[in-house]
Amino acid sequence: MNTSPAYQNNIVMGNHDDRPSMGDTTERPIRTIGDIDEIQRLKRLRGDILNAPYHLCTQKASLLTEYMRQRRPIGAFVKLISAAHFRQFAETLENSRRGIPQGRWQVMAGNILNRVYLKLEQAGRPDPVIEFSRALEYILRKMPLTIYDDELIVGNSSAHRVGAPIHPDLGGLMMLPEIDGLAGRPINPIQTDPQQVRELHENIFPFWFNRSVMARAPLYSRDPNMFNTLLEGNYYILTQFAGISHVTPDYPTLLKLGFNGIRQTAETGLREALERLAKLKSGAPDSTPARASLKNKIAFYKAAVIAAGAAIEYGGRWKSHLEQTARATADPIRKAELEAMATMFANIPAHPPASFHEAVQMVFMGHVMLHQENFQHGVSFGRMDQYLYPFYARDIRSGRLTPERAVEILGCFICKAGELLPLFFDRATEYFSGLSSASGITLGGTTPDGASGVNDLSYLILLAYDQVRLRQPNFHVRMDDNTPREFRYLCYDVLKKGGGIPAFFNDNTVIPALVLADIGEKDARDYAVVGCVEWGVPGKSFPAAGAVFINLAMALHLALHNGRFAGRRFGPSTGPPERFSSMDLLLDAFRKQLANLVERAVDGNNVIEQTHANHRPTPLLSILVDGCVKKGREINAGGARYNSTGCQGVGLADVVDSLTAIDQVVYQENRLALPECIAAVDADYKGYEDLRIYIVNKIPKYGENSDISDHYANVVSGIYTDTVRRFSNPRGGPYFAGFWTMTTHMGFGTRMPALPSGRRAGRALANGASPCDGKDRKGPTAALSSAANLDKRFITNGYAFNQKLNPEYLAGRAGNILLDGMITGYFRKGGMQLQFNITDPSILLDARSNPEKYPDLVVRVSGYSAYFNDLTDAMKEELINRTLHCMTERTCCT
Amino acid sequence: MNPAPSNSPEAVIFDIQRFSIHDGPGIRTTLFFKGCSLNCAWCQNPESISGMPEMTFYAERCIACGACANACAEGAVSMDSGRRIIWEKCTACGACARECPAEALRLVGATYSVKKLVRESLRDREFYEASGGGVSLSGGEPVLHSRFLASFLPELKTHGIHVLLETAGNYPFTLLNPLLPFIDYIYFDYKLPDDAAYRVHTGKGNQRILDVLGALVDQAASLTVRIPVVPGINTGFHQIKMMAHTLRAYGISSVSLLKYNPLWEAKIPRLNTRQNALGINMNAVDAVDYENVINQYSQYHIKASLPS
Ligand code: SF4
Ligand code: SF4
Repeated sequence: MNTSPAYQNNIVMGNHDDRPSMGDTTERPIRTIGDIDEIQRLKRLRGDILNAPYHLCTQKASLLTEYMRQRRPIGAFVKLISAAHFRQFAETLENSRRGIPQGRWQVMAGNILNRVYLKLEQAGRPDPVIEFSRALEYILRKMPLTIYDDELIVGNSSAHRVGAPIHPDLGGLMMLPEIDGLAGRPINPIQTDPQQVRELHENIFPFWFNRSVMARAPLYSRDPNMFNTLLEGNYYILTQFAGISHVTPDYPTLLKLGFNGIRQTAETGLREALERLAKLKSGAPDSTPARASLKNKIAFYKAAVIAAGAAIEYGGRWKSHLEQTARATADPIRKAELEAMATMFANIPAHPPASFHEAVQMVFMGHVMLHQENFQHGVSFGRMDQYLYPFYARDIRSGRLTPERAVEILGCFICKAGELLPLFFDRATEYFSGLSSASGITLGGTTPDGASGVNDLSYLILLAYDQVRLRQPNFHVRMDDNTPREFRYLCYDVLKKGGGIPAFFNDNTVIPALVLADIGEKDARDYAVVGCVEWGVPGKSFPAAGAVFINLAMALHLALHNGRFAGRRFGPSTGPPERFSSMDLLLDAFRKQLANLVERAVDGNNVIEQTHANHRPTPLLSILVDGCVKKGREINAGGARYNSTGCQGVGLADVVDSLTAIDQVVYQENRLALPECIAAVDADYKGYEDLRIYIVNKIPKYGENSDISDHYANVVSGIYTDTVRRFSNPRGGPYFAGFWTMTTHMGFGTRMPALPSGRRAGRALANGASPCDGKDRKGPTAALSSAANLDKRFITNGYAFNQKLNPEYLAGRAGNILLDGMITGYFRKGGMQLQFNITDPSILLDARSNPEKYPDLVVRVSGYSAYFNDLTDAMKEELINRTLHCMTERTCCT
Repeated sequence: MNPAPSNSPEAVIFDIQRFSIHDGPGIRTTLFFKGCSLNCAWCQNPESISGMPEMTFYAERCIACGACANACAEGAVSMDSGRRIIWEKCTACGACARECPAEALRLVGATYSVKKLVRESLRDREFYEASGGGVSLSGGEPVLHSRFLASFLPELKTHGIHVLLETAGNYPFTLLNPLLPFIDYIYFDYKLPDDAAYRVHTGKGNQRILDVLGALVDQAASLTVRIPVVPGINTGFHQIKMMAHTLRAYGISSVSLLKYNPLWEAKIPRLNTRQNALGINMNAVDAVDYENVINQYSQYHIKASLPS
C-alpha cells in the first residue's frame, strides 16, 4: 500500500536514460570519483604549487629588452631627452594613481615625443613581425630550463614555480608606480627580488615607456587623452593594452603537423609570395597595394618560419636538459622517467606526437612558448577531450597506457597550467580580482558532425582535475541533448566538492547564436570556451573576447542627467528628465547615451588593436591560429579565419531594476515625478529612505521571473546587443555583445552613484547576467528562468550566471537529481551558461578571519575560479553576502 | 470555506513556492490553498486556517511612516496599536499593505482564477520535467477547493504535470473522489491516536478522516501516510500504539514522520488568530528521540522513516 520508495524511483528514473555511455576498453570504464585511487605524485605536486610563493617574473621582460636594446643604438642626445621624458612619465603615472589626471599639454607633449621616437626608430628597421619573431627566438634560446620533482610534464611559463610575468612591451609600465610595494600590497601581494626591481627601474621601464603598446596607442587615437578616461574606470574598461590573449590556439593542427609541418607550409607560402613579387617587380611601381601586401606577406612568412624554428629549437633544448638531468639523477625510477621524457623530445614539438604523453607535453610546450610572447590571460586549451582522444585510444589499444596513467599525466599537466599568474596594477585588480590567468579547458558537447563528444577522456580529465583541485585552469562542460547521465553526474560530484568547477554551457543556445553571427555550422558546433565564459572556434577564431567592458549603469546615469556625470559632460545632451513624459522617451535617451559610450570604447579598443597590429605582432600565436599561414597575414592584422571583439555589458540587472522601478513608481503609480525621483537617487536616498525601501521591497526585480522585469531585461539587453553589433574592429570582424563581468562589477560599482533600483552609491553592481545581490527572492528556478528568458540570439559573446547553493541540499544521488533538474531544466528553457558556487558560508566567514587555514579554498568569481585568499576585501564581502538559497520552506502540515 | 460561487471558479492562495524540494520528488512548485477544516494546535501555517484573505503585521519591520493609516478607508489602522490593525474594522482590502514600503503589513491570500494559477504553475515546467518533479497542492486543505480543482487539475494534466496532494482528510470523500484521476500521489496526514485526541487538538473528530483514508485504500490510490511528530502529544508509548493499530487496521504498513518545528509560533503575534503557542521549545524538540519513535512503530509492524 505505501509505495513511497518505489514511487520515488519511478518518478525519478522515468525521465532519465540509464544507458551507460560506451567505453572502448573491455574493462569497466572509469566513470566516477571512486574509480581512480588517489595518485601520490599528484598530491605532492599540488602541495608544491600551493606552497610556492607568488613571484614576480622579469625573465621575458629582461630577455626581450636585452634583444631589442642590442639592435637599437641610440644617439646621446636622444638618450638625454628620453631620460628626462621618462622621469616626467613616471611622475604622471604616480599622479594618475593618486587620482590626479594628466594635464592636456603634458599629454600632447608626451604624444609628440613618442611620435618622434617612433620615426627615429622605424628608419631602417626590419618589419616588426620579423623583429619580434627573432626576439622570441632569443628568449627561447636563453631562458633557463627547470625540472621540478615528480613532474611528468615539463616547461616553464615563468622563471618561478608560480610566477607573474611582467610585459613592458604591452601594458607593463602601469606597474611602475607600485613595483616597489608589490610584495607588501594589501591585495594580491606578489614577491619581488631587489635586483629584479632595480633592473626594471634602470633598464626595462626606461627602454619601453615610449615604445610599448600603451605609449603608442594614443598616437592613433582621436582622443589623445584616452588613457586618462580609461584610468578613471567610470565608463568602460579596455583590457587589450595589457595584451591580446583570450584565444584558443589550434592545438589539433599542431598535433597533426608538428612545428616542422607548420614551418614547411610557411616556407611554401614564402616561396610563392617571393615568386609573385618577382613577377610583379618587372612592371609595377613600388607603392602599388599589391606590392605592399606581398611585402607584408613575405615578412609574415619569414617571421613564421623563424617562430616555428625557434619552437623546434626550444624542444631540442629540453631534450638535452632532460638527458643531462637524468644522468645526474641517482634514483633509478626518476632517472628512467627523465630518460623517457628526453626521448619524447627527440620527436616533439617538431613532429606529430607518437603517444598520449607526448601529445599532452606538446600542448603544454605550445602554452609555455605562447606566454613568452603574450600576456597570460585567457590563452586556452580548447576541447582537450576531443583532440587528445585519438592519442589516448591508440595507446590504450596497444596496451602502453592505462586510464590511471592517463589521469596521472593529465594531473601533471593541470598542475603546470596552474603555475602562471596574471599581473595587474592596483586599480586593474579591482576589476580583475582573483589572480586567475583564466586558461579554459572545454569538455563534452556536440562534435562538428553533430554527435555527442563525450568520451573516456572527458571523464578522465575531470577526474584528473578532481585529484589536483587547483583554481586554474578553468573547466567548462558543454551540454547537449546527448550528454550521458553518467557524465553529468560526474560533473555534479566534482562540482559538489566545492570550487565552482566545472561551469556548464548549453550547446542548444550557444551554437545557434554563433551560426547567426556567420560562423559556419560545423565550426560553431566545435566552439570552445575561451577563458571564463566567452567562446570561439578553437584554433580558428581570434575572438579578443575579453577586450571591452561597458558600464551599463553609467549609461542610465547619463540618460538621467542629460549626458553629465559628476558635473562633467561625457555623453550627448539627451534632454533634461522633465521632458521624459513617458518611459519610451527615457529609453530613447538611454539608447543614445549607451551608443555614445560604446562608440567611445570601441574607438579606444580599435586604436589598441591597430597598435598591436602595427607595433606588437605575435608571430607564434599567428602560426597557431588557422588562417594566418594560409592568408600570409599576422593574427593582429586579421589573419585568423574568424575575427571578432568581445564587448561586455556590466550591471545588466541594475539597469533592469532601475527601469522597472521608474516605470512603476513614476509612470504607473504616479508616486512622484521623474526629476524628484532623480533628486532622491542623487541624494543617495538621504531623506528619501521610505522611497528607497518601497522600491527595494515592493518593485519586482530581475531574477524573480516577474513579467515586468523580465520584459525590461530584454529591452535593456536588446538595446545593448543592437548597439554593439553595429561596430566592427580593424581586423574586419564584428563586435560581439556579452554579459559577463569578471570583477568589473565591483570596480565600476565602487565609483557609481546611487541608482533608481534602490542600490546605494558605491555598492557593487550585479555580476554577469545574475540578479542583483539578494534579489533572487523567489528562489533559484525563478532566477534561472529570468536569465533563460533573455533573448540570446545576439548575446554572441556569452553571459555568466552565478548560482549560489548550499551544499547541505546537494548530498548524494538525490542532490545530483536536483542539480540535474536545475541545470537541464534551465537549459531546456534556453539558458546559455551556468556556474555554481557551492561553499558553506560559515567556511567563507572563517576563511576571512583565518586566511592561513585555507590556502586552497577555491571559489568561483563570476566566470573564473580564484583562491578566496586572493580576493579583494570587497569581493570577499560580496561572496559572503550573496543570497544563499537556504530554501527556507514552509514545513507543511495540513 | 466559501470560494466565490461563480462560473469561473477561483481560489484563495496564500503562497506559491517555487523550487520546493521537500514536498515530493524532484523540483516542485507548491501551491498553498487557504482555508482548513481542522484547527491543529501546532499548525505550522496558522494563516492558512481561515479561508479568507487576512492581514498580518510584522512589527519589527515597521518604520512608522504612517502610509498605512493614510491608505485605509475603514479607519482600521491604528498607529498606536502594537498590532497596527484594528481587526474588527478591517475588511482585508489590502490597501494598507500595498502602500506599506517596509512589507510590515502584508495581505495573506490572493484570489486566483484557474487560468492565472495554471500560468504560475507552468513557469517551472522544464525544471519539473528535468527532475521528475511537478506541482504539489498544499495548504490549508486543498480539497476544500474541490470545485476549483475540478477545473484546475484537468488543465494542468493537459500539460502532463505530475500532481501531488497533501491532505488531512477531513471532508466528505465525495469532494476528493472526482479529483483522483488527476492526482498522481497523495501525502495523507494522520496526526493523533484517537477521536478524543483529534477533538482536543484539532477541533474535529477523526471518523471522517478515517473514512477518507479507507476509501483511498480501497481504491488503491498511491499514497504515503505522514505523521507530524508533536512532542508529548503523539510521541508517548500509548499514543504510538493506538495510532499504529488504527493505521494497521487500514492496511497501512509504513509511514513517514515529519519533524516538529516550533518556528511557527513566531507567526502568532502577527495574525488575528485565536491560536496559542504550544510552548514546545527547542530543547523539547531536540529531545525527541526519533530513533525510539521509529523503533516503537516497528514493534507494531509499521515501518516509520524520516524523509532524507
Ligand atoms: S486591509 Fe484595508 S481595511 Fe484592513 S487595515 Fe488595511 S486598508 Fe484598512
Ligand atoms: S505603512 Fe508599513 S511601515 Fe509605514 S507605518 Fe504602516 S506598517 Fe509601518
